[in-house]
Amino acid sequence: MTASTRLPYLATAALSGLLFGAGLYVSQMVDPLKVLRFLDFTAIPSGGWDPSLAFVIVPAIAVMFVAVRIGRRRNAPVFASEFNEPEFHHIDAPLVLGAALFGIGWGMSGICPGPAIALIAFWPPDLLVFLVAMFIGSYAGALVIPSGHDRRLALAR
Amino acid sequence: MDSFSPIPALAGGVLIGLASALLWLGNGRIAGISGLFGQLLPPARTVIWRLVFLVALVLGALAASYLLPGLGVGGPGGQPARLAAPPAGWSVPAPLWIAVSGLLIGFGTKIGNGCTSGHGVCGLARLSKRSFVAVGVFFAVAIVTVTLTGIV
Repeated sequence: MTASTRLPYLATAALSGLLFGAGLYVSQMVDPLKVLRFLDFTAIPSGGWDPSLAFVIVPAIAVMFVAVRIGRRRNAPVFASEFNEPEFHHIDAPLVLGAALFGIGWGMSGICPGPAIALIAFWPPDLLVFLVAMFIGSYAGALVIPSGHDRRLALAR
Repeated sequence: MDSFSPIPALAGGVLIGLASALLWLGNGRIAGISGLFGQLLPPARTVIWRLVFLVALVLGALAASYLLPGLGVGGPGGQPARLAAPPAGWSVPAPLWIAVSGLLIGFGTKIGNGCTSGHGVCGLARLSKRSFVAVGVFFAVAIVTVTLTGIV
């Protein structure tokens, strides 16, 4: 039907997912307690702070920054007809409120969505509770921004 | 500082960057996990590649834990993975604490259009103004939340 069901496209998605999951394990961002030890700035004076998360996200951004530059010199990605650039540009209330609510949830558990999925590989107790709750929360979010895409675009374009 | 691990952190970060670069240059898609996850729900349009990516993400973490055992949590040589317990003194049952956290994360990333990967890695790399705001807000709020709850 569309480009997104062709084999090279799906193989690219699979390889990207494999690398992403491997990166989350190697960096140990799959350990919620390690993430919380980064977020605990009160431990800085005592020397108990774990800066690892910064050492993960900075090279990740750097590699992606190069990829974005390369992409801007091309008309299209290799296996699709266009780059799906996000269409929103303005700072609006849902962006700020959503980021704040996400921040509260992240600070409560040390789990963000990537590690939440990767943790399925190691299946800690209560992970299912977390995943179901995240799914319900995401669905509720889609209902709060009704008829999604077009209205959202009008707010934030 | 016992748990600080700069070399695995850098190596893992490069892998995550390569994963994001590959999905962008290959398929023109942002590797934002909350978006990939959220758009599995109706009225989803293109579900198959998202499912492929997410299943591969789980398998990638599992495979890496066998290839490089004992880096910390997970896999045959690692400690068992566990979620954070609610802060001492709050007397909240662990599943309730985790459920509230999951609800806030699902809801917040949906209305805010992204999480640590979509805004944090891809958005900052694209120099998106919205992502700079989102990342500043969620890191600041998470740090305040950890401080106020005393969960660590």
